[in-house]
Amino acid sequence: MARLTLNLLRRANAINPQLVPLLKATRSLQLAIAELRWIKQELPRSQWTDAIRKRAQLVPLQYILGSQPFGSLDILCSPGVLIPRWETEEWCMKLVDVLRSAAVSDISVLDACTGSGCIPLLLKKELPALQVLAVDLSDKALHLALENMRRANVTIDVQKVDVLNYNAVPEQRFTLVTSNPPYIPASDFDKPLLLNGVDASVRLHEPRMALVGHLEFYRALARDIVPACHSEGVVLELGYEDQYLETIANLPLNWSHGRYFDLAGNLRCAIAWKNGSSMECLGRLVNENQSHP
Amino acid sequence: MIRLLSQLQKSRSPARVTNLVVKMPQIIAHRYNATVTVDQYFEPMHPLLLKRAENLSNEFEDLEKQMSLGAFDQETSIKFSNVSIVLDLYNSYVRDLENLKGLVDIVNEETDAELISEAESEIETLVPLLQACSQNVQKRLLPVLKHSDKPAILELRPGVGGSEAAIFTKDLLNMYIAIAHFNRWPHTIVSEGENSAGFMNEAIISIDAPGAYNILRHESGVHRVQRVPATEVKGRIHTSTAAVVVLPKISEGTEQSLADDERQFSPSEIRIDTMRAGGKGGQHVNTTDSAVRIVHLPTGITVMQQDERSQPRNKAKAFSILRARLAQLEREKEVAEQKKLRTDQVTTTDRSDKIRTYNYSQNRVTDHRCGHLIHDLPGFMAGTKFAELVERLEETEFEDRLQNLIAQENCK
Repeated sequence: MARLTLNLLRRANAINPQLVPLLKATRSLQLAIAELRWIKQELPRSQWTDAIRKRAQLVPLQYILGSQPFGSLDILCSPGVLIPRWETEEWCMKLVDVLRSAAVSDISVLDACTGSGCIPLLLKKELPALQVLAVDLSDKALHLALENMRRANVTIDVQKVDVLNYNAVPEQRFTLVTSNPPYIPASDFDKPLLLNGVDASVRLHEPRMALVGHLEFYRALARDIVPACHSEGVVLELGYEDQYLETIANLPLNWSHGRYFDLAGNLRCAIAWKNGSSMECLGRLVNENQSHP
Repeated sequence: MIRLLSQLQKSRSPARVTNLVVKMPQIIAHRYNATVTVDQYFEPMHPLLLKRAENLSNEFEDLEKQMSLGAFDQETSIKFSNVSIVLDLYNSYVRDLENLKGLVDIVNEETDAELISEAESEIETLVPLLQACSQNVQKRLLPVLKHSDKPAILELRPGVGGSEAAIFTKDLLNMYIAIAHFNRWPHTIVSEGENSAGFMNEAIISIDAPGAYNILRHESGVHRVQRVPATEVKGRIHTSTAAVVVLPKISEGTEQSLADDERQFSPSEIRIDTMRAGGKGGQHVNTTDSAVRIVHLPTGITVMQQDERSQPRNKAKAFSILRARLAQLEREKEVAEQKKLRTDQVTTTDRSDKIRTYNYSQNRVTDHRCGHLIHDLPGFMAGTKFAELVERLEETEFEDRLQNLIAQENCK
């Protein structure tokens, strides 16, 4: 991470002294100016000082402002629940586009490890015909997902389920399974950002439960949940090639699969679908053969 | 008038002697001086436009045939209604012109003084109507400008003059917002940029009324201000400028239009840059950096958006601006090609030229393209006088385009 030079701090101070504490979190002047503007836009004047102080302690801006835009929705964020990432927003919007143009009727979706509920809520908002169930293990997450559901003015089902122990749930059919499970290996969680580790702000303030996990989730999703739900397609967010390989190794035999890379060129999703099923349209999300920046 | 015409037919004498001629001994010479002609009341349309009208009526017949055969798609029906509106106007123009000719004949050939004075008064009422009608027809007979039905995106940037130019840019932005309010056009500020000293260095505003582009496109160019700036302590008058670029809005620039926008470009045509410092990205990072930069490789056009907290929203806005700039580029190319045909140099619409001066101390707005003056600067800035100026600009532009058309025709 770039070191904050005295020169940069002086320049920030000359523009607006409020920028100096923000620089500790943003490390760039341009971003500090943008964050200060968002703080002033979205919070009453009385909370500005407090917001800037918290931000200097690396509290995520999304927790301070209380929300994060996600597609056409505005998702509430609160400590204890993972903040929706732009990578998730990006693939989620593409998924909406694919499902809409495929015009497959009668789809039901299971979103595992839903957190704030951003994925299922955006799907339901854009495609009202969907049947959606969102599950999570965290009570805080379930509570926030329900609150977000009311805010988005749509109706989905929300249940408390342990994905790693799915047998506990009554059997139900879901055409599509989506998930953004915890995918940072414990070994990487304490490393600095440059060594494939995590941002200090993430480590200090976001829930470890939503972040630390590895192959076990992909194994559980592909081996247990997909057959149990008679699913025909999956879209699983991930961060490592191992996780992709683990997913496809555990899928049923007559499935096809491919990688999805995000706008920054990182491997982001495993896409898989049952051959000959209505979910073959998911193949359009696969972009591993296209050129990457 | 019909009554007059029928009387004319009945009373038309074979001698063809006008009442004036009777008084004058030198018949031939004075007959030409005295005879009234249609031209002296009214300048008829350019023959080229008449030819276009003919083509149009042929086209109308074709369209009619197609429609009757069951071709009923949106494109044909829009075309059909457009052509029929122009033709209706044209027909009423032709009818009025015939009437005028008839009345002129009465004046020339009739002997009854009462009938003549009646005809003359009818001519007087008819001529202004005819003039208005012909102007309307002529405007519509010119080929339709590309994207004229689209909403508009305005980009404002300060030119020479430092912080005063930035203040003036802000004033212009407020003026366009006022114009939008006055015309009840929905509008949104797409982005506003400030430099490190807190002065505006770029503003982009979108005016979301269909057809707004056609009215606002005259605003493209350099706007000059002459006034004592708020930042000036010695009371001197400064001259500063701001540049305005008006683009046709092709896409909405929202999440909904994003997928369609992305399909318009092949992956090899554009490069999208985002924050890359985050290593693995995803759950590892929770940055708020959502800036997006799109580079259109064939033209080198670069669009950067960072105002929104959502990255797809920034991307959608950037795409919308990129598509508008490309559409404008394409249009400029077309216009330049048409202009090349003309031998005389046209000085209007050149972006390097200043198009308008706002002189605060003289309370005056001058448009340099049509030479029109408005002695009500606050009124102009409040948007109430804008329509007046646009009307004058359109007249000037009409002349210009007619000349272009003639030049084009001569080249063929």
